[in-house]
Amino acid sequence: MSSQSSRNDSATTVNGSDTVGPGRDRKSEGGVLKRLKSRKNQTDRRPVTEDELRALGKDITPDGVLGLRSVTRDYLCKPEDNLYNIDFIRFKIRDLETNTVLFEIAKPPNCDLQDEDDENGDVDSTAGRFVRYQFTPAFLRLRTVGATVEFTVGERPVQNFRMIERHYFQDRLLKSFDFDFGFCIPNSRNTCEHIYEFPQLPEDMIRQMVEHPYETRSDSFYFVDNKLIMHNKADYAYNGGQ
Amino acid sequence: MGLLTILKKMKHKEREMRLLMLGLDNAGKTTILKKFNGEDVSTISPTLGFNIKTLEHRGFKLNIWDVGGQKSLRSYWRNYFESTDGLVWVVDSADRLRLEDCKQELSALLLEERLAGATLLVFANKQDLPGALSKEAIQEALALDDIKTHHWCIIGCSAVTGENLLTGVDWLLDDIAARIFTIE
Repeated sequence: MSSQSSRNDSATTVNGSDTVGPGRDRKSEGGVLKRLKSRKNQTDRRPVTEDELRALGKDITPDGVLGLRSVTRDYLCKPEDNLYNIDFIRFKIRDLETNTVLFEIAKPPNCDLQDEDDENGDVDSTAGRFVRYQFTPAFLRLRTVGATVEFTVGERPVQNFRMIERHYFQDRLLKSFDFDFGFCIPNSRNTCEHIYEFPQLPEDMIRQMVEHPYETRSDSFYFVDNKLIMHNKADYAYNGGQ
Repeated sequence: MGLLTILKKMKHKEREMRLLMLGLDNAGKTTILKKFNGEDVSTISPTLGFNIKTLEHRGFKLNIWDVGGQKSLRSYWRNYFESTDGLVWVVDSADRLRLEDCKQELSALLLEERLAGATLLVFANKQDLPGALSKEAIQEALALDDIKTHHWCIIGCSAVTGENLLTGVDWLLDDIAARIFTIE
């Protein structure tokens, strides 16, 4: 199991039906006006498919992935596009109501999954980029949750680091989570915790998500200067313990 | 309707604030951040980058940035000034030897154009320690009374016990809200 998940799970349902992105913090890039403009664009954004994005033959941008209306079949960038050596090393979810850690996974030091070749010498392109998650139905009934990610940055300073995470159940967009980390210090270790009210999902929705394991899926896109540098995927089951 | 009105309305609707927490290393910034959010503070290591929390408090959406205070990191602080609504300056009240250093770093920040619109909250932290200076002594040592450019307030607190953390943050939010969220 790789590291991807806690953040994904958490973000699955951040602020419920709002698909615009509560974690948005455009201010770090250019103030309220820019943010206003950005949000407007999100609302009006033309739907786009994964194939259309690829056919453009250009760098994938935030605007591009925000137009997606379903989960991607394949990765939209290569592992080696991560020129900044950004490495996610810890994920955690806690329940603030009971003050308990529900999930935590940390990458051991000096472990670089992307360098692990298989016997044929081929790099597995999904290594470290996909994770499967298994939760109990109770997870969908949480109220206040904190989701933490921890990541390290290589020797180059990173400008405008931005994360966009899209969560779907079947082909319905549950949540688009969009956050600007902004600048990252070279050789730094950073954490980010989003604390949010878990949306109260309709009973029918909960039942369907429990009955259809792994049909809840997410894409996590990471950009530096509006260029896609990492793409991770996850899927989720909520039928654990049954 | 003027641009400023539109912007104020926008902010008002979102009720979003960006708080930047700075101070010398070992002042207790990360401990304050964690304690305020109900996390365990028994093992805190030096911050070698930033810690961000986004949360809702009193109907405000807060983005709190805690950036490491080691000397080698201070030159990077400027990368986090943009759009800051509230500056939280954290002081180790028991670190008498570095009070002058502390004063100078704060003075430099207050000259920053991009922090010109920020309210200043000074946390005189570690009041639980026997050797801690009072908040009045810190106020004098940092020459806070000379500050004319920013709204400011100093609060004695303890990140370890949690004492006065809420008081300080609530003062900060009230001051920012009064400045930027206008009544329509």
